[in-house]
Amino acid sequence: MRGPLIAGVVGAVIMASATVAVLSDRTAAQSPFGDPNAEPAPFNPQMGALMSMLIQPRHTKLGLAGNAENWPLAGYMLKELRQGFAVVAKAVPRWKGLPVPDLVDAAVSQPLTLLDYAIKLKYRRQFDEAYEGLTKGCNACHATTDHAFVVIKVPDASSFPDQEFAPQR
Amino acid sequence: MSSAIRRVGWMAGAVLAIACAVSIAAWAGGSGFGDDDDNSEEEGPSYFGFVRDTSGATVPDAKVTVGVKNRGGVVTRTDLLGTYKVPGFGKEVDPKDVEVSCDKPGYKQLRVVRRSSPSSDPKIPIETECTLQRS
Repeated sequence: MRGPLIAGVVGAVIMASATVAVLSDRTAAQSPFGDPNAEPAPFNPQMGALMSMLIQPRHTKLGLAGNAENWPLAGYMLKELRQGFAVVAKAVPRWKGLPVPDLVDAAVSQPLTLLDYAIKLKYRRQFDEAYEGLTKGCNACHATTDHAFVVIKVPDASSFPDQEFAPQR
Repeated sequence: MSSAIRRVGWMAGAVLAIACAVSIAAWAGGSGFGDDDDNSEEEGPSYFGFVRDTSGATVPDAKVTVGVKNRGGVVTRTDLLGTYKVPGFGKEVDPKDVEVSCDKPGYKQLRVVRRSSPSSDPKIPIETECTLQRS
């Protein structure tokens, strides 16, 4: 009768030691965020990060500048936004198998051209219409790439409290 | 009686040991979980493309038929961006036997151009562009 009891205790001790060994080994060898002694890896942001870094803030600033009729700033942000799209299309030419340059072209090329005209003409109403078209293009592309839940809108407030958007006289 | 109890005890110990071993392996990263796959191993490549008019502008809400020669096909519509997507057919379907056509009231189909050859990567779709001309 004591045999099974001893076997059970011995088994439990062995399992507990194995668990401790595995855990301590894991802690020593790797953090979930990587190896502190590894060589620095090249920074290679993918689609979500690129959108958050290069596209969304520039879309916001372009809208705020146009709303303030700060045409030099709007022109600058339009150029920055165009360059952002070019970088994204080059950095991630295919996403989920889909051709990113073609999708970007279909989604934003026309409204970007209309925005360029509106800014050069300093024509607020055309700017608003073209900016709305740009925003719709963003959302259409999100839908095409199964990200319809990421809904972009015309900004109703500034998320850049340290930047003046009104034109400086 | 006591030998039967002893046997049951040993069996219980063995089951416990196996369960612990499996859970430790999993905890140590011994088992993995893959991402959701867009294409299963049994599927061939998916089909994707734009429908455009003769000016190059994309055409939303066009009817697109992706058919397999002598076997029927599927009908879909282009989205707001003027694109369509159709999941892969079975692996037994040769992509060369898949034909795409497009249609929209007020237009007639001008041409259909396959932009890429079948890729070995099942995540890369076969792209076919369909051009419509106002009739």
